[in-house]
Amino acid sequence: MKSRLFLLRLAMKNLFRHTRRTFITGISIAVGLAMFILIDSLLVGIEEDSTRNLVLYETSSTSIMKEDYWAEKENMPLKHSIEKPEAVIEALQPTGYSAAPRISFSGELIMRQDPYPEDGSMQTRVIAIDPSLDTEVYLLDESISRGRFLEQDEMGVVIGEWLAEDIGADIGSPLTIITRTKSGYFQTIDVEIVGLVNTPNPIVNRTGVYIPLETADYLLEMNGAVTQIDLSFPYTTDLKESTANIQSALSKLPPSTMDELAVVDWKELGKDFVALAAAKSGGTKVILFLVFLIAAVGISNTMLMSVYERIREIGMFRAMGMSDGEIRLAFLMEAGGIGLIGATAGVLLGVLVNIPMVENGIDYSFLMRDFDMGYRITGIARGLWNYGTIVSAFVTGIVLSIVIAFIPTSKALKMQVTDALRFQ
Amino acid sequence: MIEVTGVKKTYRSGETLVHALRGVSIKIENGEFMSIAGPSGSGKTTLLNLIGCLDTADHGSILIDGTDISTKDKQELALLRRRSIGFIFQSFNLIPVLTAFENAAFPLSLLGLEEKEIQRRTMEILKEVGLGDMAHRKPAELSGGQQQRVAIARALVKDPQIVLADEPTANLDSRTGQEILELMEGLNRNHGTTFVFSTHDKMVMDFARRLVLLHDGLIQKDESQEPSLGASTTLATGVSTERQGG
Ligand SMILES: Nc1ncnc2c1ncn2[C@@H]1O[C@H](COP(=O)(O)OP(=O)(O)OP(=O)(O)O)[C@@H](O)[C@H]1O
Ligand SMILES: [Mg+2]
Repeated sequence: MKSRLFLLRLAMKNLFRHTRRTFITGISIAVGLAMFILIDSLLVGIEEDSTRNLVLYETSSTSIMKEDYWAEKENMPLKHSIEKPEAVIEALQPTGYSAAPRISFSGELIMRQDPYPEDGSMQTRVIAIDPSLDTEVYLLDESISRGRFLEQDEMGVVIGEWLAEDIGADIGSPLTIITRTKSGYFQTIDVEIVGLVNTPNPIVNRTGVYIPLETADYLLEMNGAVTQIDLSFPYTTDLKESTANIQSALSKLPPSTMDELAVVDWKELGKDFVALAAAKSGGTKVILFLVFLIAAVGISNTMLMSVYERIREIGMFRAMGMSDGEIRLAFLMEAGGIGLIGATAGVLLGVLVNIPMVENGIDYSFLMRDFDMGYRITGIARGLWNYGTIVSAFVTGIVLSIVIAFIPTSKALKMQVTDALRFQ
Repeated sequence: MIEVTGVKKTYRSGETLVHALRGVSIKIENGEFMSIAGPSGSGKTTLLNLIGCLDTADHGSILIDGTDISTKDKQELALLRRRSIGFIFQSFNLIPVLTAFENAAFPLSLLGLEEKEIQRRTMEILKEVGLGDMAHRKPAELSGGQQQRVAIARALVKDPQIVLADEPTANLDSRTGQEILELMEGLNRNHGTTFVFSTHDKMVMDFARRLVLLHDGLIQKDESQEPSLGASTTLATGVSTERQGG
């Protein structure tokens, strides 16, 4: 026991005597860990932001549709609509979730020269929203960058700001939407742009076209039917639980209505995004592994040096009857000490740099406009406090340092005592 | 007592075999002050390493107080070295981060002695080697002679049965070397500790009360002699009756 204490003292003395080595190794551990913490913070932060922006601007938390509509979601067939949305919303009351009816349909946008720079058209998805109910579920109204939000029953349209830039539209520009009514007849909708939205979700900015629900109801001959009822609850809610809640609420509806309804959560709705996120998390692991490797190489270099330059010392220890275990313990405690210093510095550095990353984020809006990275964030990547990562980075730094010191120490201990004593 | 009987040691370096020891037998009584001399490559270091349980012989046997050390495993040998054998190295081999006191106290710390006991015995031996007032200095702050004194204190502090010194004066100038030898001789007389040291220096050989001359791995000469300096008061038989304790 006493000799253990002595070994600890010896280890600490070595640690503080070889200040340069301790410093260099400590720095490489610290930088590695700080990078690890920051990258993790940023990636998790982006993912978190993306998820929130997906839910708040694009998919809602969960959507209720006719099963047939969901099955043919690419075509958005109006004939598979929910006939009595009020009844469904009523039935959903016990869940406490906010609900907003929407009609999503496909249409062709027609732009004509003057005011547009040239004639053109584009196939797009048009979403009809209830200007008052929609704000309970989505945050579009808070993202109007120019003009105003939609009003009930007007011939107005709100579109994404980037889309407006792309087609050369402005507030007051006329827009023609050619589509088919619920029963399949062609219909031309002439609206005027009343507002532009600039949300944190790039998809909305690039493709969003919104008209009032009542206008759509009338022009598409919906007779009160909608294609979906979108629900809002905190996106951190367990989706199995929320789906179960919704389904049990829906079960109060007449069986015929209920059977045909699909309850689709945001993970399903944003499948492309979720798949992308999964792919990215694979890439994330590669990045984190590389960072880990850099730190490991840095540590092992100095650890190797520190052990090799002391092989004679190890020989002397053994000649004096120190057991291999005691020698190993002394060296591992020294390595653990370096690891502790490096890990502490790394966590401090990581936390310090992470503060502005969480508070302000990194502005890369100049990139976002031109490159679609699939993330649902625009311009600012924010970090996130991820305490699990910080703790595991700290522990990893110490353990790594010890594990790496183990190898050269074992090598030195495998040498003959006499060879170690003669080692130059 | 240490009995070396018919010991052979062969090294293999690449294709060639080097016969470092080719059948060496000596008996070392407790309390001897003995020199192993011989030209470079004659096997001095090899013999000391075998006696010090740092290496194993290919043939023959080495008995320490009647126990054949070849019957002991690595751990038992380490324990034997820790308790009973003190080493003094040519290049001192002090731990640079520790003070003279801590270096000298090192073997006692390994033995897990009480802090007070360590303090007392270490200070005592440091005074004896003439470093009572330099206990707090690091090796780098000491001269070569002083460093070797610390090493001697470290070898003796645990009151070992035998102290093995491989060319203890080779890194020192002759005056300092002589002082070190006088110190070792005095400690041998006062403590009764057996000293075996190797050298190829005539002046150093003359200090010993018994001289074993190695040549090409064989003993050429093994005889008691009248030590040249400082040791005149001791009997030339090489056997001291002053040895205290085990
Ligand atoms: N580990 C080893 N591997 C190969 N050969 C060795 C080894 N150690 C010693 N030898 C050889 O064994 C012989 C005896 O070596 P040893 O070191 O015992 O001699 P020495 O008398 O101590 O010499 P010196 O005065 O130079 O220290 C030499 O020829 C040496 O080259
Ligand atoms: Mg030698």
